[in-house]
Parts: sequence; structure tokens; C-alpha cells
Amino acid sequence: MEVSVIGSSQAKILKTDLACRELGLLSFKNGSGVFWRKSKISFGQSSGLRNSGVRLTLKAVQTEAIRPQKISRRQSRHGVRLYVGLPLDAVSSCNVVNHAKAIAVGLKALKLLGVEGVELPIWWGIVEKEAMGKYDWSGYLALVEMVHKVGLKLHVSLCFHGSKHAKIPLPEWVIKIGEQNPSIFFTDRAGQQYKECLSLAVDEIPVLEGKTPVEVYNDFCESFKSSFSSFIGSTINGISMGLGPDSELRYPSHQGLSRSGKVPGVGEFQCYDKSMLALLKEHGETTGNPLWGLGGPHDAPAYDASPSSNSFFKDHGGSWESPYGDYFLSWYSNLLVRHADRLLSLASSAFGDSEVAICGKVPLVHQWYKTRSHPAELTAGFYNTQNRDGYEAIAEMFARHSCKMILPGMDLSDEGQLQEGLSSPEQLLGQIWSACKKHGVEVSGENSSDTIARGGFEQIRKHLSGEDVAHSFFYQRMGAYFFSPEHFPSFTQFVRSMKQPQMHADDLLSDEEEAEEPVAVTSESGIQMQTA
Amino acid sequence: MSSAVSTEPLLHRGFRQISGPRFRSRTLGRPPPPAASLSCAPKSLFRHARRSCGSGPRRGGGGAAALRARASSSGAAVLEALESTDVLFEEAFPLQRTEAVEGKIFVRLDRGKGDQNWQLTVGCTLPGKWILHWGISHVDDVGSEWDQPPAEMRPPGSIPIKDYAIETPLQKSSMTMDGDEFYEVNISIESNSDIAAINFVLKDEESGSWYQHRGRDFKVPLMDSLRGDSNIVGAKRGFDLWPGTLGQLSNILLKGKASEYKDKEASSDLEVSKQKVQCLEGFYEELAIVKAISIQNSVNVSVKICPKTAKTLVYLETDLPGDVIVHWGVCRDDSKKWEIPAAPYPPETKIFKNKALRTLLQSKEKGNGFWGLFALDEEFVGFLFVLKLKEDVWLNCMGEDFYIPVSSTRSPSLLRQKESDSTEISGKTAETNTEVSSTAYTDGIINEIRNLVSDISSEKSRKMKTKEAQESILQEIEKLAAEAYSIFRSSLPTFSEEAVLEPEVPVPPPHICSGTGTGFEILCQGFNWESHKSGRWYHELKEKASQLASLGFTVLWLPPPTDSVSPEGYMPRDLYNLNSRYGNIEELKDLVKKFHEVNIRVLGDVVLNHRCAQHKNQNGIWNIFGGRLNWDDRAVVADDPHFQGRGNKSSGDNFHAAPNIDHSQDFVRKDLKEWLCWLRSEIGYDGWRLDFVRGFWGGYVKDYLDASEPYFAVGEYWDSLSYTYGEMDHNQDAHRQRIIDWINATNGTAGAFDVTTKGILHAALERREYWRLSDQKGKPPGVVGWWPSRAVTFIENHDTGSTQGHWRFPSGKEMQGYAYILTHPGTPAVFYDHVFSHYQSEIASLISLRNRNKIHCRSTIKVTKAERDVYAAIIDEKVAMKIGPGYYEPQSGPQKWSAVLEGRDYKVWEAS
Repeated sequence: MEVSVIGSSQAKILKTDLACRELGLLSFKNGSGVFWRKSKISFGQSSGLRNSGVRLTLKAVQTEAIRPQKISRRQSRHGVRLYVGLPLDAVSSCNVVNHAKAIAVGLKALKLLGVEGVELPIWWGIVEKEAMGKYDWSGYLALVEMVHKVGLKLHVSLCFHGSKHAKIPLPEWVIKIGEQNPSIFFTDRAGQQYKECLSLAVDEIPVLEGKTPVEVYNDFCESFKSSFSSFIGSTINGISMGLGPDSELRYPSHQGLSRSGKVPGVGEFQCYDKSMLALLKEHGETTGNPLWGLGGPHDAPAYDASPSSNSFFKDHGGSWESPYGDYFLSWYSNLLVRHADRLLSLASSAFGDSEVAICGKVPLVHQWYKTRSHPAELTAGFYNTQNRDGYEAIAEMFARHSCKMILPGMDLSDEGQLQEGLSSPEQLLGQIWSACKKHGVEVSGENSSDTIARGGFEQIRKHLSGEDVAHSFFYQRMGAYFFSPEHFPSFTQFVRSMKQPQMHADDLLSDEEEAEEPVAVTSESGIQMQTA
Repeated sequence: MSSAVSTEPLLHRGFRQISGPRFRSRTLGRPPPPAASLSCAPKSLFRHARRSCGSGPRRGGGGAAALRARASSSGAAVLEALESTDVLFEEAFPLQRTEAVEGKIFVRLDRGKGDQNWQLTVGCTLPGKWILHWGISHVDDVGSEWDQPPAEMRPPGSIPIKDYAIETPLQKSSMTMDGDEFYEVNISIESNSDIAAINFVLKDEESGSWYQHRGRDFKVPLMDSLRGDSNIVGAKRGFDLWPGTLGQLSNILLKGKASEYKDKEASSDLEVSKQKVQCLEGFYEELAIVKAISIQNSVNVSVKICPKTAKTLVYLETDLPGDVIVHWGVCRDDSKKWEIPAAPYPPETKIFKNKALRTLLQSKEKGNGFWGLFALDEEFVGFLFVLKLKEDVWLNCMGEDFYIPVSSTRSPSLLRQKESDSTEISGKTAETNTEVSSTAYTDGIINEIRNLVSDISSEKSRKMKTKEAQESILQEIEKLAAEAYSIFRSSLPTFSEEAVLEPEVPVPPPHICSGTGTGFEILCQGFNWESHKSGRWYHELKEKASQLASLGFTVLWLPPPTDSVSPEGYMPRDLYNLNSRYGNIEELKDLVKKFHEVNIRVLGDVVLNHRCAQHKNQNGIWNIFGGRLNWDDRAVVADDPHFQGRGNKSSGDNFHAAPNIDHSQDFVRKDLKEWLCWLRSEIGYDGWRLDFVRGFWGGYVKDYLDASEPYFAVGEYWDSLSYTYGEMDHNQDAHRQRIIDWINATNGTAGAFDVTTKGILHAALERREYWRLSDQKGKPPGVVGWWPSRAVTFIENHDTGSTQGHWRFPSGKEMQGYAYILTHPGTPAVFYDHVFSHYQSEIASLISLRNRNKIHCRSTIKVTKAERDVYAAIIDEKVAMKIGPGYYEPQSGPQKWSAVLEGRDYKVWEAS
């Protein structure tokens, strides 16, 4: 004779489990973070939990009220770590922590929410502001200490560029040098300079008081390493190497011009500074086409123009498909790869012996992706067209230095783009990601801008729960909007939704080898009970 | 302060244990009252200390008995010296664990006094708060619904549940069964009544478990047994498919025909386990059950210095049963890093993986319990341990290792300090008032989390992690975010807004969560049980719209709008037919429009649990639906035999009066979602009041809410509170937990009516037991204390009050109720009858005070007094209130209080 139990409220541990879900509290075991799965699945799991109170046995002389079952611990998936970017101006240009109180409070909120850590941009223009080799890390040290105290991890981004956006320029002494020698900056066809970062062409030319930029970067890294040695490998578990404008590996093909509201144009090639032109000339001569080395393409459209407004990028019969086009684009893109190669090699030799992940960011230049020539990518330095995969070489180079690749724009969906822009962030992301996969490069995600569009969280979740597993995700970025009532609740929800499956798995780990978890009776309908 | 916190529950339970059943189990004898074990500590300490200072430890495991003899013979001389030594530390820690115990449920029917009188006894031998949830069937009932028995049948302490069931707590019997105590309830039956059967399930309030009879309600047919012959078979139409061994009394417990085959399979097993004691004409039947019960033990630790060896002696004593192993180590500093001290060790000690020592505790000479004594060198600062029971059961101290400070230079305040942290973690912020301590509070939580997640090596259990802690974390996050926001905003960006990098970024709308609305909502229930009678309710209510708006309501709850079998609307039939006794669809739209004009949001009362059929199936059962949603019996749950549903089993409780809808069916959910969206767009409803959500899983509710995106939603999850001996328990955590579980299942997309708060207010006001309004953590004892933003507080509705009066708020004390809910966090709901009564102006003043002070669903509350005749609290440090006849005045500190409202037994102050 048996007695059944229905609707039993869960054993205590389950309540906790549910509560944890609700909060999205995250527990990190063995450094593994979140298990990303589709939210649907977690929904189903809840259903199992809810009904786990039912177990009837056939032979039952007695019925048990839900005994937890032993389930062996299994970690099936690699976790994704969530980082939230600190404000760009977290340390002010006079080297003090900006809105320290707000950051302190914010850090606690994030810790409680269960994120892995925060990302901190460290600016060349702040640390080495006054003179070469004169580093002042005090503001950053204070900030790192704050992060350390709260128990969060820290990913630092070494920024060798300036930001108009955050009003953080390059070091004063570099600007001064630039005034005398403007050719250290990227320059466009019209002679306009992009003064937010140094031209990659001068990487190995001693333009900075007798040192090459690469040497200066290297000194900066070494100084960083010695100043933060007690944190590196523990609190600091990742370092991004700034590779160009906005930290990204690219040419400033739009020169940071505003693109508000309109379909962005194709951008322009930035190969007109003295050193670039010299390299181009040399390249033309060595390849036996000295005439091709005299300048950039004459028939490329202007910044805001559409691809078809001139003949270089035309879908059919455009010069990009001509031998000259191939010659130029190969050279232009190859310089970018070699630049990244230099900097990443520098980073991996500086930090390779510490327990930190070394990353570089590759932009998602998704505009005009649906055309044959991919003009926006071409001007940005990625020789990626209908006919050629431009990301293979980059992924291969990242792999060589065991670097992880940060891919921004994970919140963008094709639908969210303007039709006329012929853009496809999703396809491009897929392409780069598969190149990374092929070469074994781990990918970290990032969102595209501070204001996340509607559906952006959904999109991120979609990307992160897909086939390919991201290593971590950088959510940009903390500030007034981040904590505003318009945004923070959805962010909280996002974090929680990511954690739900993880919470579950985490509870499985509560003992050494085995953990208790209730028998989940899940079926399609969610409520089928097992009756004797 | 801290030690009070950790021992208070123990004492409390200890007290209950003496009078109540809670701690009894077969494997565990009654533990001594804590006071006893505390007081015996010094003596035992002496005894073992002596031994340990002498040759004890080196002897190893064998010589315990001899040692004991030695110790007791030579003890007297040193006794005084030892007792005069200061006890460095002494503490009793509560230990909570679960244990599976076997027991049985029995059902007995026998003759009472006189021929016409019979008595049904339902009992259970397991400890627990057993509740009989029962109803009757009448002779001429066609359907399966339960009815409530006549009042004379209801044993004392019974509570009606809606209009179909009764809940009666089982009482501890004065007799014993095979030497065990048991709990039972007796129902006397007059056999000349027209009651055909008694139906019941047994509920354990403690664990929230429901015990049924093989997946069905227990059913005791009375008609046939009462009429002399026990052969019930074929006596009644509808029951003739009863399976099993016909004519046997064992068969008296029956189930529906839908699962007939299962009975047959099982019937052979039944014979084995049953011990039938056939009474003359009655019957007796037992069913075995197993239940995991929670048992409270304690461990007492005291620390002294041995005057002879200058070693620190840690004496440990526990009333845990069985072989108790202490898994222990020592530490040198605050880092609490485990270390193994040098030998000698106590007897029966093993080294475990070079990380810890494991010592088997010795059993006491007399009585229950075990003890152990550990002698430590001076250099150690702390003694760390966890307890291990036989079956890989570990016990620790609120999720952490036990940590006992042993250094003589350190005072016991160290431990106090630590514990006060953990106290704060569990949400007791009431005392903290400065910024500094609130930071400490957060740090505490962070530490808690860190401990919770990081330390795998020490056996940590998450079971102790309480709901309250979770709740305070959630609130803490919200608070922190708000703080960060305000600072970031005020120190506005040092960079310009110029650069939004992506074109066309739509700004998301302000976030409104359907579980809370804006957080500042005040609900009005816009009808009562009589509202259908005029036939023009929508008209009548429309005229009151501006008045309701001026009173300060932001949300109005309208009655169920659909075609319904019952005039009040709770037996819906054609969901798309919105012509009801309250008015027609056009009038409804007009009404909603009117309320929108005065800025009041409108909730539709949607009945999703059940739906009345329009047609019979081939067996003559009403389970074929009509109208636009012409579902068939696949839409009906399978476990209510009277409606012959072909769906899956119900995901919740059954409402017995109508076919319960099977929400696991995709087509059902799709149709319901469409319907809700249609209501939103067609009528303009802003949200939902969800009827009888106990009937189906909260996850489906989430699904519906996700689809219909309401502005606000609240569910009616109404079940009984916990009573012991007919008296409401102080601790209603199990009750509020069930409501919170439901809210959780909806993923927080809906709030729920705070039935717990209403029930506790009943007891507090009715019996002058205002102390009930503070839970053991000093927070409000209802849902509002644990999850304020999702609690919709109310004191009355159309079921509890109005002309039904199923559970009426103590008469004349309504304003105390409103003074409570309208000043407290949560979303308050005011009942129509009270709005339009002589209370109106008082209610209006309270609402305006609430709005003026911007009290919202997450406001902070500090209970400042909870005594016999007065309860007082301070909300958001801006409003002070008291209810009850007793005296209270808020203390002036940083704020100055001025009384702004006063009424019968309540008073409210505002800070100036």
C-alpha cells in the first residue's frame, strides 16, 4: 500500500536553489563561470524542480517523500565569464579615481549580482602623461585595490590611443612630438591627420625621442607589470593590448567622424602619412610595380559615400578586383597584420609568464558586408571580400601568440541595421568566429556601445549560447546609464538569465564528488508524474 | 547580541519540543532541554579535563572506560580549582539536520455513541504539523466536486478553504500506538445525513507535502458502510468500476476509475503491507509513509585553560545520535586556515588526508549524547571543526566551519564579532543606521557569498543559506544600483554625449516589471460578492472613477468579465464572450477607458485554472467546451476523474467544481495567450489578477505574462496557515515560503496576495498578540518581510469578506489593518467595501501619507516594537506607525516626529 506525495515544496536545498536563481547569484567553482544555455532550457528545468516532489514506486510498501538522489558531478561546458567595463574616465587625467564612491558602490552591486569581474581601461595618456618613462600608476593602483577588496577579477585594457569620447588624449609629450612631426599620425588622402593614435607605419621608426613606439609600448608594459606584480595573475587575470584606434585592430578609416543617423559610408584608406607612403613605394619597387607605389587608389569614394559612388568598390568591375586592387589591398591589410603581430608578440613576451589571458580586439566592421567588395572592411584594413577570407591570417596570428580575440558587436542583429547599409553583423561575426575556431583562438564577446538597443540582450544571449563557446564577455560599460532604472533592471535580468543553468550545475557541485539534487521529472508537458 | 541570535531559535524550538511533536523520531530520543546541557558543561569539563591533562591522550582508543573510572575517582580535589578557572568561551550551537523516519497513516471508521453516530479517525504516527484537507460528497452529487461538511461535523480548529473544503489540524493523541505517540483527528458523522463520502488528503504543513492515496484523494464512502453492509461495490452508480478485491474492507480506500489498471497491478502489494484490523462494521487501515523530518540538536562547546599543563581544553558535547565524528583542526590566526596540531590526540582519532583530524566522540556515561575533549597548545588561536554523522551527513555552523576562539589572550568577543556579521547577513539590518554599518553589512553579504562559493575544500553546505539572506541580497543590489546611479548622475559625465557610436539606437522604455508595476502602486479591488446583482456594475463603478483617482489609487481590479456559470464570474465558460452580469463588453470597454482617463490602470480578473464546459462527451460528462475556444477533453487534466480529462495530470491543486484546464497542452497555452493579448488590446486591460493559481504551475503563469506583457499582475495563492492545537503558530515561514515558491516559479513576473500577513494580522488583532507581527529576525512575518516588492498586502477581499465572509478580518479593527499595510512596504490593496464605508476618509489619509512620503513596495522597515498589545515600526526613516492599544512614541533622534494621523488603536507619525 502506498501513499503518494504531491506538490511537495522542495527540500531546503531546492529552495535555496530557486532563490539563487532568482537572484542570479553566481558561484564560481574552479574558476569556471557561467554555463550558458538557452533560457528555454532553464525554464524546463524549473519545471522539473517543481515537480520533483513526486516519486511513486511500484513495489512501494511505502512511499518516500522525495529523497534527493546522488548525481555525479559533471562539468559539461566551459563557462563564460562576465566582466563589466568601468567608466572610461574611471581615473581622471590628473590621476585620481573619478566618482570613487559610485564605483565602490557599483562594484559591490556587481559582486552581489555575481559577475566575474570588471574591465579597466588604462590610458597611456594618463599614466605616462608628462614625459617619456615617467609613469604614474597611483590612480589605477587605488582602483585595482578597490576591485581586489570587493573580490572581483580585473581585466585591464592597455590603451595606446586617445579618446575624444572620454576626453583622454595621447600623452602630452607625444602630442608635442606630433606637432613637429605630424607624419607620426595616420593621414588620409586629403592630408587630414587622425591624432588619437600613432600610425602603424612608425611602429619601428625611432620617432619618439629616439625610441620607436614599440619600444615605448614595451617599456609601458614592463612598468605596468612591475607596478602591479602583486595583482597580476590573481586579481588581474586578463590584459588587452591596445592595437589601434579605440583599442581595435584597424585603420581609422572613418577618422572618428560622426556618423549619426545615416548609413555610414565606406570610409577612406589611411595610407598617406609619410612613412606609409614610403612603405608603399618600397613595396611597389620590390614587387616590380613602381608605378603602383606612388599613392593609394585614385578611384576610392569619400568617407561618407556609398560603395558605388566611385569605381573602386563597385560590385562588378570595381578596381578592387583588378591586379592593382589586389596588390594594394594585400599590402594595406598585411601592414595591419604585421602591426598586430608586433604588439601581441610584445605583450606575450611581457606577460606570457604570468597567469593572465592576453587579448586583442578585432572590430566588427559590418557595414556593407553584403556587397561583394566589403568596402568598409577594406578601408579598415581587412582584405575580406567575396573572394577572399581576410580574417584567417589574423586568427592565425592570434593563435601564434596564444592570444584571445575580443569581438565587439555581439548585441547587434541584422534586423537592427538599416536596410540600405547592406550590413550584416551576424554573418561577419560568424565568419570571424569560425576563423578563430579553426585556429583555436578563444573568443571573448563585447557589446557595441554603451546604450544597448532593444533586443540587444537577447542577441548577446543568442550568441553566447550558440555552438561556439565564448571565453568571456565584456559588458560596456558602467556609468549613470548603466545603473539607471531604464537599464539596470534589464541588465540584472540578463545576468540572471545567463546564470540560471549555471546555478543549477553549481548546486550539483556542493560536495566533493557527489551532490544532491532532486529527481527531476521533466517531460514534454512538464507535469507528467510517475505513478506506480 | 550575537549569541542571543544563534541560541534563541534553539531555545525556542527546545521549548516547543517539550510540548510538541516536532523532535520525535524513532532513532532519536528526546534530547535534553538546552538549559540542562548548558549547565552540565562545567562538570563534565572537569571530568574530562582531568583525564586529558593526565595520561589520557597517549593511551589511544582502548582505555576510555578505565579512564573514566580514574577521572571520577580522583576528581573531587581539583574540582574547585577548575571551576574557579574562567571559562574562556562557552556556547551552545544549534544543529539542524534531516532524518528519514517511517511511520504510518491510518484511517479508521467505527461506531460512535449511539446507533446513528459514526466516527472517522484519520491519524498519523509521524511528527509533523498534519492537516486534514477534506470535504464531503453528497448522495445526489453528480460531479466530483467536494462540498464543505455541515458545521456540526467540523472538529474544533477547522478552517474553511474557499467553499469546498475544510482544513482541520490533527491533534496529538493522548494514547500511544505501539508505544509511539501519534496525531489524529476525529470526525463524527450522523449516518442519517445525506453524506455519501468523505474525501481527504493529508497535508504536512511543516514540509509542505501533500499525502494522497496513490495519486488520488482518499475517499471514504459512508453511505454503504453506514447502511449495514460493508460491501460498497455497486451501491452507487458512478462507482461501479471500482477495482480491487470486491467486498473487502480494505477496498474502502478508493480511487477513480481513470486509473483502474494501476489499482489492479498494485493490489497484490497492498495485501502485504496492510494490517487489517476489522472492526465490527467499521474498518481500519494503515498506510506506510516515510518523511524527512528536520531535527534540532545542539552542540555545546566550552573552552578552558588547564591549570596544570597550560594547555587549552576544548570540551565538546552534543546530543546528536549515533557515531559522531568531529572533523577538526586548529588555526593560528584569523585566516582560519586549517592546520593539524601536533600529537597527542584524543582517543579514536585519525588523520584525514593530512588536512584535518577526525575524532570519534565518546558516548556519555548516562543518557544520551556524546562528548569529546581536545587539548591544544597555547599557540593556537582557534579551534575549527565540523561534525560528521554516520551517513555522510555533515553539520556546520550556519554554512561555515565552527570556529571556536581558544587563545587566552583573546576574549570571547571575537566570536561574537564574527557572529554578528552573520546575523547581519541574514537580514537583520534594523539596528544599523549609519552609512558605515551599512557598508559593513554589504561586506558581510559579500563575504557570505565568497564563503558560499569559493571554499570547496571545507565541507560547506548551502542548505543553511536562508531565503531571507537571498532577499536581502536582492534588495541590497537594488539599493546599491540606485545609489551608484544617483552619484554617477550628479557627477555628470566628464565627457559629452556626442558620441553614440551606433546609428539608430532605440532607447528602451522605462522599465516596469509586471511583478511590481512602478513600485508605487496602490490597488483598489473594485467589486464585492454582490456586485453582479444590479446587472449594471460597470456603469456604477464608472461613476466612481474620479473619486477613486482622487483617493490616490493607481490600479483597479475589476471582476471576472467573461460569460460564467456562476453570476460572480469565477466559473468561466466562453472566454471570448465578455457579456456578464456586470455589464456587456461595450460597457466594459467604456469603463476601462474612463479609468485610463483618470490615470488608473485596470486589472482583469482572469480565471485560468478551470473552465466550465458547454457540452457533454459520449459518457455524459461535461468536458467539451464551446465558444471560440472549443477545446475537448484533452484540455482537461487527467487527475480529476469526474471530468474524464484526457490531458496530463494537474500541475497544481485541483479546483473541484469545474474541469481544471491542462496548461501543459501547447494548444491550451497558445489559446490562453492569444486570449490574454486580445483582452489587452480589445478591452484595454493593463494587467491581471490571476484566480486560483494554486491550481497550476507558476511557470505557466510566467509564460502567459511574458506573452501578454502586463503592467502589473498579482496571483491568488491562498492556502492555510500553520496551526498547532487550533492556535496559529508564530512562525508562518512555511506558509509564506509556499507563496514565495510560487512567485519564484513565475520568475517574479507576478506578485502574490500576502495571505500570510492577513492571517497573522487576524491573530494579532483578534487575540491581542501584537508580538506576532515581528518574525524571529525582527522583520515583518508575512511575504512582505521576505519579498516585499512582490507582496500584495490586503486585509479583505470578495471571498474573505463581503457577504461570503469565509475568513473575515476582525471586525472593527480594519483600520489597524490598513494602518499596517498602507504604511508598510509591499503593494497594498484596499477592498471596495472598505473604500465606500465610514473608513473612507481614514483610508484616504493613509494613502495620501503613503504617497507624500513616497513609500513604495521596497521601502525599508524597522520594527521598533512588537509586544503583547502594541506593534510599531519605522518605514524609510520617514514614517513611524503603531497599532494596538499599548503605548508607543517614536524616539526622536536625527528625525523629529510629529503625529499626523490617529484613529482607533493606531497612530502614524511623520518625520520632520
